[in-house]
This record gives sequence, structure tokens and C-alpha cells, in this order.
Amino acid sequence: MSTPTEDPHTVGAADPEAAGADPVDPEAAAAEKRALFESQAIPFMDQLYGAALRMTRNPADAADLVQETFVKAFAAFAQYQQGTNLKAWLYRILTNTFINTYRKKQRDPYQGTIDDLEDWQIGGAESVTQGRSTRSAEAEAIDHLPDSAVKDALQSIPEDFRLAVYFADVEGFSYQEIADIMKTPVGTVMSRLHRGRRMLRGMLADYAGDRGLSTSAKGQTK
Amino acid sequence: MTDCGCDKAKAELEEYLHDELQATDAEDIAEHIKNCTSCDSEHHVGVVLTQAVQRACKETAPEVLRDQVLARIREMQSH
Repeated sequence: MSTPTEDPHTVGAADPEAAGADPVDPEAAAAEKRALFESQAIPFMDQLYGAALRMTRNPADAADLVQETFVKAFAAFAQYQQGTNLKAWLYRILTNTFINTYRKKQRDPYQGTIDDLEDWQIGGAESVTQGRSTRSAEAEAIDHLPDSAVKDALQSIPEDFRLAVYFADVEGFSYQEIADIMKTPVGTVMSRLHRGRRMLRGMLADYAGDRGLSTSAKGQTK
Repeated sequence: MTDCGCDKAKAELEEYLHDELQATDAEDIAEHIKNCTSCDSEHHVGVVLTQAVQRACKETAPEVLRDQVLARIREMQSH
């Protein structure tokens, strides 16, 4: 029988209040470790699944990715330090797993050079040229877009931009946390986020314009 | 707390939105937005965009996935 919990720090010391099991009994310690993992890590499943969907772009791969993530997290749970940011720790495992297994299969041909592209090559909203009334119309239009339009726009922007936007805007991670998760400098995170949001905004304005949802007089440049 | 002007505000709106600015810088931007309809409307677009992404990305993991994960964890401990 494997007894990864022989070290008293992994379970017994981490949560002295969890179950009244005898910490020297390996079976009880294992059950305690599992109970701790189920109560602390499993509740992040919906969020991780949402991120996995944005990463893999399909439900079957997303489910596999989440399952793989939890398996790895459980195997490494002894190394997780109680009291530190569990959510960020899980997202690091998720992102690593995605990059190492799924990204290879579906890598965009221009991935890897995307950070080097100039702004004019990327396109997006030309907010500086817009007036106040145009912008309030834009906000109004974005606010009324169906979720499917927002998802489609997200799916179509480059992966590194999409993940930066997801981590910041959906999960509320700080720039430093995103830098740790994506293993990239904070400056790169800021650039990806800025460009990702700019592209997203441009696409949503186009979508709204095409459907007459926007009251913008000025068409968006494609 | 001073009004920082449009150039600084426009350059830092995104960091302001993501709560990444030092407190004094954030106060300056907040002050500027109060008095400048152009920057205020630009900030509003940013807020609405974030909310739209949050709404669109709400997902619930399939029940079967939850069962599979719990089963695999149990299995990992049983041998």
C-alpha cells in the first residue's frame, strides 16, 4: 500500500481538526488527506472547467484536462502549503498540463511570435478616435450582446491573449499571479491583456454593428 | 489627490480597472474620471467588457466529470 502521508506535516499537522483519526494509522491518514482535498480543491471544479473550455475549445478535451489536473494536484497535494493560494496553485497545474499535452496538438501556426506583432497587425478597437457618445453606445451594445457572441470572440483571439484576459477578468488574478501561472514576465502579461481586450472589443463592436445593435455612426475598421 | 489629466488616465485605465495601481495613482485616476466625461465613458466600456466576459464564461462542470474525478482519486489511494 502506498503511504504518501507518513510525513506528519502533510496531513496531521496541516489540519489538526480534520477528523479524529489516528495520524499514525496510514489508512486513516490517507482518508484524511482525501477528505481535505475533496473539501478544499474539488470546489474549484466549475471554475477550472470554465478555464479548460476556453483553453481546449471543446467540452470533451476540457473534461479530460480537468480530470488530469485534479489527478496531478492530488498526487502533489503533499507539496501544497496550507494557507497559500490554492486556486492559483490549481491553475498553475491546469495551465502546465494544457501546454504540455493539448497545446501541442492544436498550436496556432503563428503562436510563439504573437507577442512580437505590432499593434497595427493585430487590429482591434480604435477607441482613441471615438467620442463620448459613441463610447456610451458601444458600452450599451456590449452590455446587450448574447453570451455566445462574447464566447465566439474570445475563442477567436490568440490563445495567450485569451488566457490572460480569462485569468484577469474572469478569475480576478493579479498580474503577478498571471505571470506565475503563464511563466512569463509581468510586462508580457500586461501587453497580452491589453491586446486581447482590444481585439475582443473590436470584434464585439463589429458583431454589434453587423446586427444593427450598435448606434455607432462610425464603422469599425476590420 | 490631484486630477492627473487625460493622458495619464487613458494610459492607466486598464491597470486601474484591474486594481493594479498604487493607492495614490488610483485616487488620481478616480478623481480625473469624476470630472472628465471622455475618460469616464472609456472606463465604462472597460467595465462593461469585463462584465460581459464574466457573464459569458460562467460554466458548470458536468456531474459525470465530478464523479470521475472523485473515483480516480479514490482509486489512486487504493493501490
